[in-house]
Amino acid sequence: MSALRQIAFYGKGGIGKSTTSQNTLAAMCHYFGKKILIVGCDPKADSTRLILHEKAQSTIMQLASEAGTVEDLELEDVCKPGADEFHPDNNEITEGYIMCTESGGPEPGVGCAGRGVITAINFLEEEGAYDDDLDFVSYDVLGDVVCGGFAMPIREGKAQEIYIVMSGEMMAMYAANNISKGILKYANTGGVRLAGLICNARMTDKEYDLAKNLAEQIGTQMIHFVPRSNHVQRAELRRMTVVEFAPNSDQAMEYRELARKIIANDLKVIPIPLEMDDLENLLMEFGLEEEVEEDAIGKKAEDA
Amino acid sequence: MFVCGYHFPASEGNNVSFDKVIEKVKEGIDATGKTVTLTSETREGAKLETLTVPEGTFAHTAFVDFYENTDVQAKDGYKMIYYTNKYQISEISKSVDGDATKDLCKKLDDMNLYRVKVA
Repeated sequence: MSALRQIAFYGKGGIGKSTTSQNTLAAMCHYFGKKILIVGCDPKADSTRLILHEKAQSTIMQLASEAGTVEDLELEDVCKPGADEFHPDNNEITEGYIMCTESGGPEPGVGCAGRGVITAINFLEEEGAYDDDLDFVSYDVLGDVVCGGFAMPIREGKAQEIYIVMSGEMMAMYAANNISKGILKYANTGGVRLAGLICNARMTDKEYDLAKNLAEQIGTQMIHFVPRSNHVQRAELRRMTVVEFAPNSDQAMEYRELARKIIANDLKVIPIPLEMDDLENLLMEFGLEEEVEEDAIGKKAEDA
Repeated sequence: MFVCGYHFPASEGNNVSFDKVIEKVKEGIDATGKTVTLTSETREGAKLETLTVPEGTFAHTAFVDFYENTDVQAKDGYKMIYYTNKYQISEISKSVDGDATKDLCKKLDDMNLYRVKVA
């Protein structure tokens, strides 16, 4: 049996991390029979809803608060099997399965979400959630690495292999670069590595070139370009992944290809983050705008 | 890393040379005499145009290779091309096929979905 791989999906808020991660993990399970544990590390607790066909699962922090402490919880209380084909007892489509848990976090504006993440991970480890049958543990982590809390999975050496979900938009690339800085910081102590950028495309011109060149300059690969598709939204409205909703659709094939690549991926690097000026130069070189003169900064389109 | 669907070991770094990719794509593929037809369509599925890929070019061999080796199922004889692959094929073709595929590559670089048929 192969060793357990602990991967994580990071990226700017709203970039489609949870959608991309759930669809990709669903493809790893559906087409390749992988056994997976998802650890949602976002206080929104939306990292597992498409696998569970639920609105949002009760989080470890929420259940601990109701029970008194986290020690009062059992693994079964917080770790739920995926719905239908993702359930361990359902082998009709795949031998694989997906188990789901959400760390949860504090009320907005109160406390530290990172504490919830690490409490949850420690609890799962102590209770034996990371069992020998699993092929992958996947962490879906909120937003940019804006504070140490969100770096918990990489700080504590839990997630070893990071995939950054990004697009060709400035802020998504900025966030990808920032996350690389976070990985670099802990690469030597925790052994975490950057495994690739996933371009969850906004379908803007030259987006592939931008994403590919950013990846190259950071020292990694743009592992897959995921196009936009209405199937994603249709599936989400049904609280399903595209892989389950329309397994033969073009979009499901794209997720399958991304899944295949992640399974086979061995390019795991210590990233070389860019300076802000270099990032802006990249946008100038491959973006929509010609070079902007200094005197045009802050000017409206009609004045430029 | 992955180029045109092929895995290149990490020891080769994050910038695999076009020569190595071309060698891999050509391995075991005889594209001679085959007609490669592409169709393009919008994200909403509206058909746009049909294109023929000139024989003897890298793009021609790469699309034959994709068609013959992909797991994507054919619908009406056509197989959907992954966006990543069409961009990578275009990038290499621009570099090695020159004017023969210049116009084709310009189209492949757009945001439309392409399908391929090999006959």
